[in-house]
Amino acid sequence: MDRKIIWRIVITLVVVGTAVFALVQKRIPLGLDLSGGIHLVLQVKTDDAIKAELDDAALRLKTLAGEKNLPVGEWSADVGALGFQVAVPAGTDRDALGQLASDYLSEYNVDAGPDTWTFTFKANVEAAVRDLAVRQALETIRNRVDQFGVSEPVIQRQGIESDRILVQLPGVDDPTRVKEIISHTAFLEWKEVLAGPAPSRDILLTRTGGQVPADAQVATEDREDESGAVAGKDYYLLRKAAIVTGRDLRTARRGQGQFGEPVVNFYLIPSGGDKFAEFTAAHIGDPAAIVLDGNVISAPVIRSRIRDEGYIEGNFDIETAEDLALKLRAGALPASISYLEERTVGPSLGRDSIVRGVRAGLVGLALVVVFMVVYYKLSGLNAVFALVLNLVLLLGAMAYFGATLTLPGIAGVILTIGMAVDANVLIFERIREELAIGKTVRSAIDTGFARAFGTILDSNMTTLIAALFLFQFGTGPVKGFAVTLSIGLLASMFTAVFVSRTVFMLVLAGRDRVETLSV
Amino acid sequence: MRIIGETHIPFLSYRKIAVTVSAIVVGAGVLWIAAGVLNPQIKALRFGIDFTGGTQVLAKFREAPDLGRLRSTLTGVSTDAPIIQRFDEAEKHQVLIRLQVPAGEQADLTRPVIDRLAAEFNADVGRRFDLNTQGSQALSLLLVDADPDRVAATGADPASHYAPMADAVLEYRRQHGIFSSLDELNGVPELSPAARSAIRERVALGSFALLGVESVGPAVGADLKKQATMAIALSLMGILIYVWVRFQLPYSIGAVVALFHDVITTLTALMITQREINLPTVAALLTLVGYSTNDTVVIFDRIRENLRLRRGEKLEEIMDLSINQTLSRTIITSGTVLLVVLPLFLFGGDVINTFAFVLLVGLFVGCYSTVFIASPVALWISRLLAARREKRRARGRR
Repeated sequence: MDRKIIWRIVITLVVVGTAVFALVQKRIPLGLDLSGGIHLVLQVKTDDAIKAELDDAALRLKTLAGEKNLPVGEWSADVGALGFQVAVPAGTDRDALGQLASDYLSEYNVDAGPDTWTFTFKANVEAAVRDLAVRQALETIRNRVDQFGVSEPVIQRQGIESDRILVQLPGVDDPTRVKEIISHTAFLEWKEVLAGPAPSRDILLTRTGGQVPADAQVATEDREDESGAVAGKDYYLLRKAAIVTGRDLRTARRGQGQFGEPVVNFYLIPSGGDKFAEFTAAHIGDPAAIVLDGNVISAPVIRSRIRDEGYIEGNFDIETAEDLALKLRAGALPASISYLEERTVGPSLGRDSIVRGVRAGLVGLALVVVFMVVYYKLSGLNAVFALVLNLVLLLGAMAYFGATLTLPGIAGVILTIGMAVDANVLIFERIREELAIGKTVRSAIDTGFARAFGTILDSNMTTLIAALFLFQFGTGPVKGFAVTLSIGLLASMFTAVFVSRTVFMLVLAGRDRVETLSV
Repeated sequence: MRIIGETHIPFLSYRKIAVTVSAIVVGAGVLWIAAGVLNPQIKALRFGIDFTGGTQVLAKFREAPDLGRLRSTLTGVSTDAPIIQRFDEAEKHQVLIRLQVPAGEQADLTRPVIDRLAAEFNADVGRRFDLNTQGSQALSLLLVDADPDRVAATGADPASHYAPMADAVLEYRRQHGIFSSLDELNGVPELSPAARSAIRERVALGSFALLGVESVGPAVGADLKKQATMAIALSLMGILIYVWVRFQLPYSIGAVVALFHDVITTLTALMITQREINLPTVAALLTLVGYSTNDTVVIFDRIRENLRLRRGEKLEEIMDLSINQTLSRTIITSGTVLLVVLPLFLFGGDVINTFAFVLLVGLFVGCYSTVFIASPVALWISRLLAARREKRRARGRR
């Protein structure tokens, strides 16, 4: 046999063998639309982080100034202007305050007016604060998802500067709960109760003359009736500065209270434990409020000095207690988040789609096979062989590269079946033409393949261009389609041009004179 | 075997009629689209929630759902009226609920929709555990808490004992979509008898299960619309440049005009049938763009070859000859693609139906435009350019 033919057979076997090996070794990952799962795009409200940063800086300034005997007045933050204003009374030593600001608030520009000073972000600080918020949110969400126990989650930022985060969780069967777990800010604080509970804000504030004191805040707790429905609100007056917060937590776990009801046990880190112990020792018999995202969830009376562990009661059932413990362990989000996009596919829907897609594909494949064999006879069989190899290569390449199979991807595979034979059709039609003008079988095959190759290349390139833009544009399922289509086209060029040619050569080899070709 | 033998159809002599008819169709299509953009009252392109923003819930009910009751339950969740329709075969009891979010609002309507459905259809469930909406983790927690097999007493880990049972129960729901009766728990062999009765005691069966939920914010929808338009425009540009480089300017203009025709005509078909345009629809449109050029390029390729072989012949004749020579290939390839797209359209299911529809329409439209639009336009542009060259040369001589 000709050396050339042997080489061609070797190359074909190696390529096909690699594809089969990849298919056996790895399975093709199913996209969320087939496996079932949840796809979320969420937006981090970085304005929250800016506001927190401004409030924090203003509070720091006020505290430091107070320690140095430099009285300053009220402050107000303005997120839009990226700064805050502080009232500076006439008697304050302005030089000393200026020194303090440049020492401790170096990331701010200071505009010292006659009675109010304006602090604004220096260049790049805004971007850094927003970026940090997104990165922290990403980390927190990753922690929460890990704790929830989802296999192969995708959690990533959409673009470097973006405030959007993409979360894909395959196989999750409880989207509502997962969404809640991810998006809940879960910022926990323990605060001193100055007054309350009272049934209304006015009653709460009677003792303070209807005014909220500067260092205090009003918070509410949902009051529930027997059946667990929200029946009203209780009002509390709390000291603004927290005793300890979620940042002081070492861990949290679901536990059982005195009567077997679900509670959340918490454990503090040493520094948090010191602060907590000092406070509880001084306030035995007083209530302390446990505040989650600004709402009081319970206000138990302190019975003894608590150092580093205790429990939170609230109106929990097992699931909410478990979820709160999880969120506390994973940490609070630095800013609130909102959902921009959500796609949840129940696994039964995905399964139905696969069955139908595969059925449609098999019907199509059968029809094409019958047509090719009837129309091109033995050469058609050659094309069918190429087509089957093409499918093996396509699936093998998808497995090898870990390309996800999506529902449109299945359609892409089916479409590949229809379009892949195009290359064969071009070649066979060309061979028929060459035979018609009286060429010998061998030379008809040679010219047929040679002439058709340029056409096949050009025509497939245009489809590849469209697929490229499709890939660049689409979300998951559409991307999957673009990938399948592109691989299918490339594979078809190999099988239809190279492998089919080899088969022809193999058939003709060893025969001196060939009179007819079954085409 | 042979479907078409040698043909000598003078395709280009029909070019005036063909191009006139196509120009009218495309013009009407463009006007229709523009009218729809300017006045939302006119039924033109119907965008799905991928592009408009909104929430879509696919629910499966235990019994045949009352669409009227669903509609009245969900009216008022959003300012726009809810769209409620049956999905797939009637005996599957599946309903597709769609709500649009008015522009400018960020609201995620998933929660209110599910809450309202539960309040209306699952009133009897109350605060009990609904086996048709809760997940496997929650069910596992319920079993751990009840501990019917008294695992905790033996010192073993209750979670690893009950989690596989919960998974098996949910796997059953995955396969069947919904639990119609608690007796179906007998079909889950993984459950221990005690666990089975513990579940029966503690859970209730809600009247629906959620098969799919999609929610797209209006801002994301607008972004996607822009990206989809860009993707189609850029791929037309890419093809224009490729064909320009490989062939010549007249041919690339011919190819792109034909593609534009294909896209607009297919969109018009979507407007007539009032099918929804979603991300997969755009994918199908781009595929059609690629496929249709594929056809066009095959003919151009033959024209290029014949131009070399038959110098001195008129371009028009060479084009006709080339189209005739490649005709059987054009028909056979379109035929094989049709053989696979048709089953997809007929049996592919509701999810993939519009996708297949676009490919099906595009197949015919693309075939037509290759012959009757791409070549005539290329012919005209070549003549135009030739005339201009002639004029310049004449001026130069003077």
